[in-house]
Amino acid sequence: MTRLFSRRADHRFKAVGITLAVVGLFVVTGVTYYATPAYTRVGYEPTQPIAFSHKLHAGDLAISCTHCHTNVESSPHANVPDTQTCLSCHGASWGNIKSAAASLEPLREAERTGKPLDWVRVHKVPDYAYFNHAVHVARGVSCVECHGPVNEMEIVRHEEPLSMAWCLDCHREPWEKLRPADKVFDLDWSPESDPHFDAKAQAELRRFLKEDVGIKPPQDCSACHR
Amino acid sequence: MSAPLTTDRAATAPVDADRPPTPGSPASGSGDRDLTNTVAGITERKMPRWWLPALLLSASVAGIGFLAIGYLAITGVGVWGLNQPVGWAWDITNFVFWIGIGHAGTLISAILFLFRQRWRTPINRAAEAMTLFAVTCAGLFPLIHVGRMWRIYFVAPVPNHLAVWPNFKSPLLWDVFAVTTYAIVSILFFYVGLLPDFATLRDRAKTRIRGWIYGVLALGWRGGQRQWRHYEMAYLLLAGLATPLVLSVHSIVSFDFAVSQIPGWHTTIFPPYFVAGAVLGGFAMVLIMLLPVRKAFRLEQIITPRVLDNMCKIILATGSIVGFAYAIELFMAWYSGNPFEAFTFFNVRVTGPFAGAFALMVVCNVVAPQLFWFKRFRRSTKGMLLVAVLVTIGMWFERFVIIVSSLARDALPSSWGDFAPTWVEVLTFAGTFGLFLTLYLLFMRFLPMIAMSEVKGARAQDRHDAEHASGHAHATAPAPEIVPEPALAAPTDGATPWGVIARYDDGDALKRAAATLRDAGYDKYDAHSPYPVHGMRRAMGQGRSPLGWWTLGGAAFGALAGFLIQWYPSVVEYPLIVGGKAYDSWPAFVPIVFELSILFGAFATIFGLFKLSRQPQLYHPTHGHDPFRRVTDDGFFLVVETEDARFDAERTPRLLARSGGRDVAWVEV
Repeated sequence: MTRLFSRRADHRFKAVGITLAVVGLFVVTGVTYYATPAYTRVGYEPTQPIAFSHKLHAGDLAISCTHCHTNVESSPHANVPDTQTCLSCHGASWGNIKSAAASLEPLREAERTGKPLDWVRVHKVPDYAYFNHAVHVARGVSCVECHGPVNEMEIVRHEEPLSMAWCLDCHREPWEKLRPADKVFDLDWSPESDPHFDAKAQAELRRFLKEDVGIKPPQDCSACHR
Repeated sequence: MSAPLTTDRAATAPVDADRPPTPGSPASGSGDRDLTNTVAGITERKMPRWWLPALLLSASVAGIGFLAIGYLAITGVGVWGLNQPVGWAWDITNFVFWIGIGHAGTLISAILFLFRQRWRTPINRAAEAMTLFAVTCAGLFPLIHVGRMWRIYFVAPVPNHLAVWPNFKSPLLWDVFAVTTYAIVSILFFYVGLLPDFATLRDRAKTRIRGWIYGVLALGWRGGQRQWRHYEMAYLLLAGLATPLVLSVHSIVSFDFAVSQIPGWHTTIFPPYFVAGAVLGGFAMVLIMLLPVRKAFRLEQIITPRVLDNMCKIILATGSIVGFAYAIELFMAWYSGNPFEAFTFFNVRVTGPFAGAFALMVVCNVVAPQLFWFKRFRRSTKGMLLVAVLVTIGMWFERFVIIVSSLARDALPSSWGDFAPTWVEVLTFAGTFGLFLTLYLLFMRFLPMIAMSEVKGARAQDRHDAEHASGHAHATAPAPEIVPEPALAAPTDGATPWGVIARYDDGDALKRAAATLRDAGYDKYDAHSPYPVHGMRRAMGQGRSPLGWWTLGGAAFGALAGFLIQWYPSVVEYPLIVGGKAYDSWPAFVPIVFELSILFGAFATIFGLFKLSRQPQLYHPTHGHDPFRRVTDDGFFLVVETEDARFDAERTPRLLARSGGRDVAWVEV
């Protein structure tokens, strides 16, 4: 009987081992990078039944977020406007703004049939996570913190990962994100842009919120997983 | 291929596994060849007629179990019978049941090894395999129990997009570490034990593909003393690591209950009580699995009545310890004056809704093993099987009684409840038996069921002891008859051979010859044997293997990593108040620090073994020398490399021949 393994067998064995190790490393790296919401969700930009431009409405025309998302200050759920809200400007018998535009055909169809427009939902937290819009808005968390600069988007795009770690980032250091309650819907506002901005006062305000007020959003499991 | 040899018959004869042992040859007197033929033969011949139907049946049962798990995953946990207040029931009972069964294998392979109990060698392989399969079955249950089983990675302390870290002050997490470490270390231990036997199967392989498979698994094992030296140390170190590990595993399993405040669970006696119960249940399962196999494959000569007798005695001892623990539990329930504790024991277990199960567990676990006081039961297959089956049933009911009765009748009567298993749970449990049997049947088919190399080593030790006992010390043993060898012809083709090889009659002859080479100042030589020859290390002038430093380094790293991996999330990244304790309350970190030091100690031992014994080394010049294949069976060989400073083409072969070497031959590169 001749030899089972040639001289090269050890090299091959080593090569297989190294290959497996490298493949394993790639798999781990790949899963770590790709299988998280930061990759799977950010950038989601579905085509809507009507090419509604937030840039035009919220940005150029400076219509407040609450004009359409009416319940955001009073309800856990930030509602998508109903057909009537759109029609109040675009309906032929209401505002009559561009009411005959071809791009608004789905809206007219909705008006005729009474069947609501089939908007595609962009932002969604899982069913097992409880989220309350009204509470966040009332405490001075701006729309822009979670939804990004919507007033600059032609098409709404998923900007933030909305992962649990991302939620916790803010719940652990909320003083970094909070703003005056009357600036919540002013998506372009930043402390620096304020005419009365004073870096020292800003730092003092953060310290005050953190240490003296001791603001402490819940971090326990049942805050969200009820 | 080797160079032209002398005209010796044995060397030129084809190496045939089925060849009867050479009459009168000292090697055959040891029975090593018979042993190899018997054990390795099982994996080479066709399996008995019952094997395939048995495999199909058990695999089908396992399949049904997995279907039940699939149904559970698709439908939801409502298809199980557990609910508030009995949130742990059938699944955790089965988990503890199976993990307990695994303990016998480690006890036999590690603890009895440390106690130098040589009778363990015929059964340790099968028992270790059983450990692995039982841990596999056990591991299924927590995996299912967590609910969304595809999210099980949440319990791993790795940074993730949830910013969630596990609770390091929970025994349930300690359990994850303990069971995982146990599974990994058991696999490593099992594999290290298999290395020489894989080499045996490789060297006996009739087909190339079989040779390749077992050859790769053997990692080029040659049985040289320069490998054995580290191998023996690795085995000892792994046994040393596995011993506290196995005690820790069931202790930590018992913490799952003992750390809680449920009456009937909150007991300090739990760790030793659970460990004793685990060993009891494990040995019973080993008996159940081994007795039929012993008969079917005619292993009576290897698994001797003495081995079984000792196992029965361990069952008797642990059964009595468990009985003592039952008595102490009842006593403490009364003596503590705690009404809840007393109620759980006297009104729920001894009498009350669980009286039947309680009586069953006492009769099966405590009374039945007492039969082993009688030799008649320890010597009869039926008697042993009867007790073993009873103990297995009893141990399952013990876990059931502990887990379910305490939850069903907690301190608050308005929250009492009951538990009845659903068909999904029953099928899942049955499925684990199918899985266990399937794995076991495959093990019988493909791996040597008996640790051949270890049995050979133990037999050599027995012979050695017997010689000492009968007054025949080595010095007074008759000098071996040295057959003068014709001089070895110089290599003809002009190429320098790799070395010169000679076969010896037995371990003692090999040892003497090795000592001769050592005294002659040789350096690059190695003594190859089927098992580590006692005293060979000294004969070759080797020091102790430094492998222990590798283990120590690995264990120290594991301890440090274990501490940091708990301290950082608990204190810095994810501070969570648990049980009113400080974030950095270190006593809670001890179990995981312990488990990880064992785990990394074992990893380092394996890496050190491979590094020091130069494995894997699939190609080696000696493998080209056909007669050398007997080294993993019953052959003893000495090899001197031509690289050695002292080597001389004339004198060295003559020295080998004069020291008792036969079939002296050149080994080509």
